[in-house]
Amino acid sequence: MRILTRRGPALVTLVAAWALGASQPAWAQGLPSEPIVVGGGWLTIGGDVSATFSCAETAAEGACAGDAGFFNYTDYEHSALRMLRVDVSAAVRATDRISVLGEVRSENGGRPQPYALFVRVKPWAGRDFDVQAGRVPPTFGAFARRTYAADNLLIGYPLAYQYLTSLRADSLPASADELLRMRGRGWLSSFSVGNTTPANGLPLVSAFRWDTGVQLHAANDRLDGAMSITTGTLSNPLVGDDNAGRQLAGRLVVRAGAGLLIGLSGARGPFLARAATRTAGLEAESGEDTQTAWGADVEYSRDYYLVRVEAIVSDWRLPAVAAPAIERPLRARSASIEGRYKIRPGLYAAARLDHLGFSEITGSARRDTWDAPVTRVEVGGGYSLQRNLVMKLSFQHNTRAGGRLTRLDFGAAQLVFWF
Amino acid sequence: MTASGPRVVSAALGAPSLVAALWLASSAPLPLGVEARAAANGAIRGRVELLRAPAPAGRRPTVASLGTPPARERPDRSRSVVYLETAPRGAFEQQEPGRARMDQRNETFMPHVLAITTGTTVEFPNSDRIYHNVFSLSKVARFDLGRYAVGRSKSIRFDRPGIVRVFCDIHSHMNAFILVFSHPFFAVTDAEGRYRIDNVPPGTYNVIAWHEGVAAGPRMATVADGVAAELDLAAP
Repeated sequence: MRILTRRGPALVTLVAAWALGASQPAWAQGLPSEPIVVGGGWLTIGGDVSATFSCAETAAEGACAGDAGFFNYTDYEHSALRMLRVDVSAAVRATDRISVLGEVRSENGGRPQPYALFVRVKPWAGRDFDVQAGRVPPTFGAFARRTYAADNLLIGYPLAYQYLTSLRADSLPASADELLRMRGRGWLSSFSVGNTTPANGLPLVSAFRWDTGVQLHAANDRLDGAMSITTGTLSNPLVGDDNAGRQLAGRLVVRAGAGLLIGLSGARGPFLARAATRTAGLEAESGEDTQTAWGADVEYSRDYYLVRVEAIVSDWRLPAVAAPAIERPLRARSASIEGRYKIRPGLYAAARLDHLGFSEITGSARRDTWDAPVTRVEVGGGYSLQRNLVMKLSFQHNTRAGGRLTRLDFGAAQLVFWF
Repeated sequence: MTASGPRVVSAALGAPSLVAALWLASSAPLPLGVEARAAANGAIRGRVELLRAPAPAGRRPTVASLGTPPARERPDRSRSVVYLETAPRGAFEQQEPGRARMDQRNETFMPHVLAITTGTTVEFPNSDRIYHNVFSLSKVARFDLGRYAVGRSKSIRFDRPGIVRVFCDIHSHMNAFILVFSHPFFAVTDAEGRYRIDNVPPGTYNVIAWHEGVAAGPRMATVADGVAAELDLAAP
């Protein structure tokens, strides 16, 4: 991130030069335009590289400030709007019915991390049925599998998949007062039960980590369904188990007509680490440590239009430790609508309206939402310098009913290359 | 385009990049051996040998998919296009606007390589049960036909010569080539690599073989009155 920050003005200048009408840069023509296929299709390698830079408008920090309100942070250190991300994915076809798929990801020049690694088995050649096991793609929701920069219409992410609430998986608030004190501080929250070291909170659905488990998928011409059982939960996907619990998730998509997709999702699982619930005196498998979420989404596209709507409701249950007790469940509701219109070949405009709200709880002195509601509007667009090299520009306006900063606007630019 | 006096076309299709090359009409002497007299046209025929087996068309690793993507037909990447580098007199005489078809079936453009003359309208029917979105960012034909469903077809007329790379905006593994010529002296090879360019006036010509964006040659071929010249070519 620091590297990008220093190089930010240069990147913005470069992007602006392209925006002013320069056609395909010569170096870009030498980049791969298709996935790399080895051994007659035995191994296929693809990639997705994105460089994102943004400037926030703040009176206190001068021109081109960072995200002082932590609206776009995906953890304590990384902002989705100042990021150099390199994804390399590979598919190894072991047999006609068995493949191994994996992906490693590096952010801001850091050490590549395994993002996905699973085996895909197709038991019957003539049936659209698969079993996937390992670190598998998210079952829940529509956006979760579309987080690649090349698939995202804009630069920012929907709040439900990125915005950090104050809840944590390894610690919990003893009382409603303690939780209310953390309103709007999800990038660095701390509670008195469990791990007391300040750390980032959880989103409703994590788009930046995948869960580990087994996934079943079946489809026909009209329906597409998936179920999974995994170690972590939507908000806290895991590789190693921390609570001996399992999340069950499902998704059903109906192809209701030409260009019309209607999806329903659900998930439930224990999200609190055993170490935290033990400190709180909670018995194992009490059901007082779960995240339960429901989602509905609709996509309609035709000609040059694309519209997507997605709503998610997530309930977290926390054990009562001290008075005033936290009213259960803690609910978060998100709704987003995004659209794209292709203005001319290679050029499109897009917008997203997004809101994240929270249920109210009663503390000693006041009744308030347990986290600060956030609303985000992002408008922008993209221009294809070549088919697999896209430049995006966007403007993002954030408001929050609480926290350190209640309003922050960004201008952002992103260059995306994929093969 | 109508020819007046001796004219030739210089075909600069040899660039290996995806950027389309233009055929530039200019006043120039007739190609070597072309004489101003009535003569029976001949042909150039032969075979194109691919020096390397065509790389299989790969789908991006579907790591984010919940299951195996639907099976699709593999595009036939073995076809080459053979054409005359310089076209003889009469190459630009007015021709009836043609029509051609590039189908979208099993998530594949069919054919994978289409060669047409300028003024041809190409239909892009959708024969799949899913949406497709044909587009091209090529300089000679920048277009986007939008999303449309099975049973529908959209078309576009190609008025400028050059190479047009065609893609689907929804399925990134779908791609095809359309080669637009301003003269009719070209041919697409068959499954065995054979080609035949008919109605070639007697003379000596430079012949080029193009395959998957890369042009090889030129090789010289001499066409005698009413005779088919044999010329085998190799494509990289």
